[in-house]
Formats: sequence, C-alpha cells, structure tokens
Amino acid sequence: MNIKAFFVDALASALELGIGTPDDVLRHVTPDVLANNLPRPLWARLLTACLGAPKVDARLVVETVGVANLCEHVPATIIWTCIAEMGTRSIGKAFEAATPSPMISRTTQPMRSTSSVLSPPPEPVAKPTPASGTPVQLGPSIPRPTPAKGVATQPVSGLVGESSEGESQPPSRARSPSQRFRQSGTGVRTLGGVARRPQAAAVPVVKPIANASKRVENNDYETETAVESADWREKEIVVDDEQLVDWQADPGSAVAITGDDDFSDIGGRKR
Amino acid sequence: MSDQRQQWFAKVVESGLQNEIFNPGDVLAHATPDVLANHLPPELLSKVLTASLAAGSMTPERVLETITPELLAKHLPHEVLWSCIAAAAARAGVTNVVVS
Repeated sequence: MNIKAFFVDALASALELGIGTPDDVLRHVTPDVLANNLPRPLWARLLTACLGAPKVDARLVVETVGVANLCEHVPATIIWTCIAEMGTRSIGKAFEAATPSPMISRTTQPMRSTSSVLSPPPEPVAKPTPASGTPVQLGPSIPRPTPAKGVATQPVSGLVGESSEGESQPPSRARSPSQRFRQSGTGVRTLGGVARRPQAAAVPVVKPIANASKRVENNDYETETAVESADWREKEIVVDDEQLVDWQADPGSAVAITGDDDFSDIGGRKR
Repeated sequence: MSDQRQQWFAKVVESGLQNEIFNPGDVLAHATPDVLANHLPPELLSKVLTASLAAGSMTPERVLETITPELLAKHLPHEVLWSCIAAAAARAGVTNVVVS
C-alpha cells in the first residue's frame, strides 16, 4: 500500500481538475503545519519564491512546495482531511470532522513553544535624570562644584575678566596652609572657574580719553616721563628754592668730579 | 464541473487500485451487482458477461478489467465511489472524518 502516492494522485488531480483549490489545501495544511513538517531546504525554496513573487497566495505556496512534497512530509491525516473535504463537497455532502483536526489545535504545535526562546526584552531600567541645572558628579575624586552667588548661571567665558570677584570667594577645596601652589601634573582642573585659585587683581589703568587717537599713532603705552603730550608745556611747575642749585656759587657741591678730565670751561656753558 | 469531478473520481479510483489502497473486491463491495445492473448501460453489462464467459469465471478483477475506473466514474454515482475511497482511507488509518 502506497498511501502517499495515492494522495499525490488524488490531490494533484483535484487541483488540476478544479475539484479543490490551493486555498482548500492551505486551510488544512496551515503555515504552522508546514513549519513543523516541511524540511528546511523546502522552506528555503518557499521563502525564496515568496520573496521574489509580486503576490503571495495559496497557489504560490502549493506550486512552490509541490503536491508530492506536501504528501511526503505533511501527516497523512491532514492530507486525507483535505482530500475528504474536496470529495464530500464534490458529491454535495457536508464535510464534518469527527475529531478536532490536529493542525487546528495550535497548543500542540512545537512552533508555539519556540516563542519562549524569543522572550520579550526586559523592561527598560529607569535611569534617574538629573534635574536641570544640577551638574552630574563626574567622578568619585572630583567634588561637586559649589556655585557661588551670581556666578553659577554665567557662562565660563564671562568669568575670564572677573578674577577680582573670584578673589573674594573662599576656595571650595580645602588646602593645607603650607601648600601655597597646587602641584603640577595632578590632573585636577577647576570646574567652570568657580573653584579657581585666588589671583592677584590687576589694577585697571584709566587712560585719558583726550588725544587718544594721536597717542595711538605714536605708541600704545604711556609712561610718566613721556613727553609726547604737550600738556606739560602749558603747566607751571612749582619748585621750592631749596631745590634750586646755584651753579655759579658752588659748583662743586652739585657735581662731584672725580675724573682727570679738564672741565675748566664748563662754567661758561649753560646746561 | 461534472466532467472534472468525473475525471477526478476516475483518477482517484485508478490510483487507489494501483497503490493498493483498495482492491477490486473493495470496489465491488460498494459497487454491488445491484448498483452495476442499475447504472451500467446494456453494452457494458454485455461485455462483462462476455469476458466472464470467455474466462470461465467472473472475478472482481476481471469485472474491473472491463469496467475501467473511467467507466465507473462515468456511470456509477460518485457517492458510491466516494464511499469506497473513504472506507479505504479509514482502513488505512488516515481518516479522522465521518463520511456520511
């Protein structure tokens, strides 16, 4: 008895003659049934055909797998159920299943058990989000910066020229009195300029605005002895009489001549 | 549809016989002499009888040599053929349906 060959003939001729349709076949030979019974090479062929086809339907599945392969690998009871439905329908009788079809009871399918392998991903761990404006501690050895009043909200670039303000702030990090300077190469950096070491305040030089453009042409600096400005000519210099030197009365008290040079004619000169 | 169904039943019966799903005796168990006598045309009845007389006996095999599956599907009710097929499937243990 070759039941499979009989099934092949019956099923193939039914499809060929229009007794049954591929939909009738897949109503019993469900994808779950195929998944549990069809060899992987046939599945590869089926997937390839489905991927390359513009439309995937029952006809494509049956024609790709083939009736012979269906009858070879699918359980005979399922194939017979399919044939029986076609046969009873062809003679105008109702088809009823005596027992629940095994391909309908999905709980017995091994495919269902494989779903446990693909367990759902775990719930995402809720990470504490820092509050806005609260810096995150960067590391265990780096203390949390303590923002000063009116400084924390300012950008770092705005604090470059405000070292005088930072001078009045107490240092945020404890330091021994004997250690005046921080050792180089410690790798510790200030955080946002808040905990900067106190620096000497630079006294701003107030420059006179008058003739500013003229000074810019000559020099960018101004000293006490600079004579480029003509203001001194107009001012009267107050000098005490004691500061005056009578060169003619006592020339030796003003200048101590220690050399051998002849300065005999110096008295006639006006310095 | 009737032609296709006839061809399909003929094919199934032929395949069942070839694959020994059922034998000629199983067919005649459903296609009884009464069914044959009431549905076969006179020329076929005559031919069956002629062949049996020539061979000296009438066996189910010899009857089906004369009345081929195509003729069975053509003249006999398909319900009869289907009952034969379904019963054979039940004997093979592949059926889980009730064939009414």
